[in-house]
Amino acid sequence: MRVFLTILSLFSISILPQSITFDFHSPENIKKFADYLFCQGDYLRAVEEYESIKNINFNDTINFKIMLCYSEIGLYQMSNLSEVRLSNSVFKNEAECLSLKNRFKESSNSFYQLSEIQLYPFSTEDSFTLNYFNKLTSASFLLGSSELISEDEIINPFDGSETKTIASFYDMKTNPPYKSPALAGVLSAVIPGSGKMYVNEWGDGITALLATGLLAFLAYDNFRADHKTRAWIFTGLDAFFYAGNVYGSIAAAQIFNARINFEFSEGIKLFLEQENYFLPQYDFCN
Amino acid sequence: MTFAIKILFTLIFIVVGTIGTYSQDSYQQQFELAKKHFDEENYFDAVTEFKRLLFFDNSGKYTYEANRLIGLSYKEGAKFSDAVHFLALAEMNAITSEQIFESKIEIIKINILRRTTNRALSLLDDLRNDERFNDKSDEINYWSGWAYIFADEWEKASTSFALIDSIHSLKAFCDSVKSDLYDPTIAKALSIVPGMGQFYTGEYVSGLISIGWNVLWGYLTINAFNEDRIFDGVMIGTLLWWRFYNGNLQNAEKFAQQKNLEKTNKALLYLQNSYIGNKP
Repeated sequence: MRVFLTILSLFSISILPQSITFDFHSPENIKKFADYLFCQGDYLRAVEEYESIKNINFNDTINFKIMLCYSEIGLYQMSNLSEVRLSNSVFKNEAECLSLKNRFKESSNSFYQLSEIQLYPFSTEDSFTLNYFNKLTSASFLLGSSELISEDEIINPFDGSETKTIASFYDMKTNPPYKSPALAGVLSAVIPGSGKMYVNEWGDGITALLATGLLAFLAYDNFRADHKTRAWIFTGLDAFFYAGNVYGSIAAAQIFNARINFEFSEGIKLFLEQENYFLPQYDFCN
Repeated sequence: MTFAIKILFTLIFIVVGTIGTYSQDSYQQQFELAKKHFDEENYFDAVTEFKRLLFFDNSGKYTYEANRLIGLSYKEGAKFSDAVHFLALAEMNAITSEQIFESKIEIIKINILRRTTNRALSLLDDLRNDERFNDKSDEINYWSGWAYIFADEWEKASTSFALIDSIHSLKAFCDSVKSDLYDPTIAKALSIVPGMGQFYTGEYVSGLISIGWNVLWGYLTINAFNEDRIFDGVMIGTLLWWRFYNGNLQNAEKFAQQKNLEKTNKALLYLQNSYIGNKP
C-alpha cells in the first residue's frame, strides 16, 4: 500500500512543474505582451496594454512607447499628453521632437509659422530640438501657401543628402513650371490646337488643328458651292470643335498646374515619410 | 501511524492534483474569456485576448482555435487581409483534416466576400482534388456556387448548386436571376439596326432618338454622295453618322450592362438580407 501511495505521490509531484498558476494579467505579463504587440505593429492594442500598467509600472520607456503608439495610430493629441511625463526623462529630446512631429502631422503637414517658435522656449541646450523644429518649419513652408523665406533659412537646418533634396524642392517651389491657362486659351483661339501643344499635349493639339481646319474648309467650300445645309452643318461642327478646343486648352493648362502641385506636395510628403520625419528609428524590438 | 501516513499521502495527492487542474484552467479560462468576447461580438477585445493566449501558451493546445477565431474576428471587422493571415495560421496549425477543411473554407468565404473569386475558385479546386475531402463535395459545390454568384456567373452558379440537389433553392434562384438578365451581346447585335438594342433593354425613348439621329446623318451622307460631293459625304459619314451609329451600339450594350447590374445588386441584396442558409 505504501509503495502504491508513494508512486501515486511521485506521479502527482512530477506534474507539479507544469502546474504553476499563470497570471495573464499581471503587470509584468501585460508589459511582455504589450512589447510583443508593439513590435508586431499592433499599436492600438499595445497602447491599451501599456496604459493599463503605466500607473503600476512607471517607466520612461513605457511612457515613450505610449507616445509612439498614439502617434502611429494618428491620435496626436493623446500622444502629446505623454510628453509631460517625459519632461525629465532620458527621452526628453526624443519626446519633444515627437511632439513637434505630432503637431506637424495633426495640422496636415502644415506647421505653424515661425512666430510660433516663441511658444517653445528653446535654450542653448535644446539645439537638437531647435534644429528639428527648424527642419519641420522648412518643410511646412515648402508645403504651405505662405510666402517663402530665404533659401538659406530653408536649407540651413539640413545636412548631407537632405540639403540637396530640400534645395531642389525649394527651386521647384519658387519656380514651378506652371503653364498659363489664359495663354493656352488665347493660343488656341488664334491657332486651334496650339494651346494644347503649349501644355505638351502634342497629339491632341495636332488633331484639333487638322479637324478645325478641315471643317472650316468644308464649310467654306459648301457655302461657295451653294450647298447651304451641309455648309451650316460643317460650320456648326467647326464652331463646336473650335470652342471645345479653346475650353480644352484652358482646362488642360489648369490640369497641368494641378498635377505639378500634386506631384510637388506628394514628393515632399514621400520624402518626409522616407526620412521618418527626420526622427531616428527607435529600436525597441531587437 | 499507518493511517496518518495514508491521510498525508492522500492530502498531498489532492493538493498537487488540484494545483495541476487549476493550472490547466488558467489557460482554459483565458480561452473562455476570449471566446466570451467573441460570442458577445466584442471582436476587438476577443482578438486581444486570443493574441494574449497565443503569446503565452507554449503548449500549442489553443493555436488552431485561437488563430481561427482571431481570423473570424478580423473578418467581422472587415479586415479581410488580417483575417486571411490568421486563418492561414490556423490552417498551418490544424491537427485534423476537418480543421484544415474548416479553415480553408473560411479563407474561401473571405475571398468570395472581397470578390477575389478567382482565388476562391482556385482554392475550391484544390479542395476538390484533395482525396481527404471526397466526402465534402456538397459543401465544396455550395461555396463554388457562391463564388460564381459573386463573380456574376449565374449560370455556373446554378450548375454548382444543381450538383448538390437538382431542386436546390439557390439553383432555382440563380436560374431566375439568369433568365431575368439582358444579354449585352444581343443588345449590341440588335443595334445593327439603330435603336433596336435600346428597345430590347426597354429604353424606348433612347431608341427613338437613336433612330432619328442615324436617319438624319445617313440621309445627309447619302445625299452628299448622290450630289457627287464625295469628300463631304466621307466627312459627314465619318464625323457624324459613324460617330452616332457607333454610339448607338455602345449605348445599347451599356444599357444592358447597367440594367443587369441593377438586377444582380437586387439579387445580392435579397441573398444578404432574406436568404436563410449559409452565407459567406
